[in-house]
Amino acid sequence: MNHFALATVMGGCLAVLSAAAWSNDNCNATPGDVVIEARTPQVDLFKDAEGTEKILTLDKGKFPACTRILDRAPNMMLQVEIGGTKYWVAPHMVHYRFAGKLPVVCRNLALGANQEKAGATRGLGEGCPQTGGSH
Amino acid sequence: MQRRRRIGRVIERARKPDRERMTALSKHVPLWFVSLVLFVLAFIQIELNPFGFSDMIERYAQDVSNLLITGPYFYGTRGRDSIAAAVIDEDTLQTLKMPWPWDYGAHARVLDALLQYHPKAVVVDFLFVDSRPDPTLQQLIEEIHRYQSARVPIYFEGGIHLPYGEAALRPELAATGVKILDPTLPVYAGIARQYNFTGACFGGSPANERTCLSLALQVFKDNYPQYPLAALNGMMELVWGIRVAPQNAKWITATDSTGARKSCRFDLSPLRRIFLAFFDPAAAQNPCPYTAEIPVVSLLEGSDDPDLVALATNRVIFYGGALQGGQDQTYTPVNGLLPSVFVHAMALDNLITYQGKPKQNVITVWGRTLKSNPAKIIAIMPVILVLSLLHIRRLRARNSQRSGHGRGVTMEYVFERGFEHLWHGLAYGLALGVGLILTLALGLSVANWVGIVFVSAGLAAILLVGVPESLWGYLSHVVREDF
Repeated sequence: MNHFALATVMGGCLAVLSAAAWSNDNCNATPGDVVIEARTPQVDLFKDAEGTEKILTLDKGKFPACTRILDRAPNMMLQVEIGGTKYWVAPHMVHYRFAGKLPVVCRNLALGANQEKAGATRGLGEGCPQTGGSH
Repeated sequence: MQRRRRIGRVIERARKPDRERMTALSKHVPLWFVSLVLFVLAFIQIELNPFGFSDMIERYAQDVSNLLITGPYFYGTRGRDSIAAAVIDEDTLQTLKMPWPWDYGAHARVLDALLQYHPKAVVVDFLFVDSRPDPTLQQLIEEIHRYQSARVPIYFEGGIHLPYGEAALRPELAATGVKILDPTLPVYAGIARQYNFTGACFGGSPANERTCLSLALQVFKDNYPQYPLAALNGMMELVWGIRVAPQNAKWITATDSTGARKSCRFDLSPLRRIFLAFFDPAAAQNPCPYTAEIPVVSLLEGSDDPDLVALATNRVIFYGGALQGGQDQTYTPVNGLLPSVFVHAMALDNLITYQGKPKQNVITVWGRTLKSNPAKIIAIMPVILVLSLLHIRRLRARNSQRSGHGRGVTMEYVFERGFEHLWHGLAYGLALGVGLILTLALGLSVANWVGIVFVSAGLAAILLVGVPESLWGYLSHVVREDF
């Protein structure tokens, strides 16, 4: 009897864990890089990777799950195909699985560099009307 | 005729005074004269600030206080844990291969990424003034509407001193009804030590108002209604924290001139900190910002990093830039040169940490506000009175000892020296005590407190060299002896 109860509890736990795992990433059938689902209430779809033209905005529920990622731009935008048309989507708007290595984000500050200023981009005074005085 | 002769004698004595007579007269200097001389000298130092010396001492003391006392030990982290900054830097541009300037669409994507973490509010520290043609402008307008739908306050900055009548913010963006704030940063001798309480009013403010709250003040008032703002007068004295947000140490490092990498934690022992603060302040500065910084790259890649979630959720986020040549940098007492967005963040940090009662360069007594100079003059009055009284007692005691009933010479010397030391100690102690009471009870800034101590030390030195009695002896000799 005790063995039966233990087996029941363990089986239950296994089922719960499996369900959780399944719901977290249920695109196991889709190989490679994949957009699992929409993350934001609305997902913007762009014509190009630079995001200069927004073509379509889909509600979260209408964004197809398990969409394969066709390409990834240096600015992180992801290319996907929806309804036979290729779009670019901002990665923060979706949950995605990416097999490649994401860049390590670091920042380095030069000690002592903050004592100087640089950045003038014009020759000072060039082309200005002279107001007199000794030069 | 007699009157003319008298005047002639006065002029003669003024030109060639009798030293012995002056010395004799100087022993009878009255209390009121000593107090008057000290008051006039203190007034000149405080009000007229000759050579800027008094001001320099105060500001230097404020910087040292930030580095040594308030920054490492007394300044709380309540504000630090409520604010973050998403900063576009050179690494961001390089990693994303997105050259500057970004189009409006790119800014819209960063703002949208921030919105997904449900921040408390977002302040955009970029000036969108120029009406440059950009087809992605509509994306930024839509993003503002998303913020409005999500009821997350978003603030833009308005351009100031625009000489050709340009709008403070592009009219298309202003038309969304977004709040526009004045980002003016006052710098004192090139360093950000103070912050404005008020600023210019832009669109959206009541038409009859000529001044509105400055950027940090408005953001605080809107988002922290539980802390009512104190009566605002003069300027806010910024207290700079130096205990850098721990998240910064995870991804930001600093490299010194030898190429060695240093952690943003920048732990210095108290003794070493004291030494560096006085003898090499630049070495005691930490180039890493105090406010937690969010990597924009991580935002755009939609990272679920727990640190990122913690930094962006329910915090006020400042979105700005730290780009070479951008010229939007300000020198701070504890970090050196920092992107100016961190000055706004620090001002808001002060407001949160002090629960709406930031340090000010004024004091308020029984509902009346006094500017810092009158406050310092009032604070110095008891010091002047006590110093004068002690000085007169010392003079009288010295006179009585010299006139016959003295102790032994050694005893007299020891007694006098001891009294002098005690007297100086009392002067400093009084000034420190009065300043401390005003600082704790009425919010006098540390800089002004140190100013009082500095002036008190000056007055003690003036008494030590005997300026009031010499002046009294001279004036009595020249003016009074004929009348």
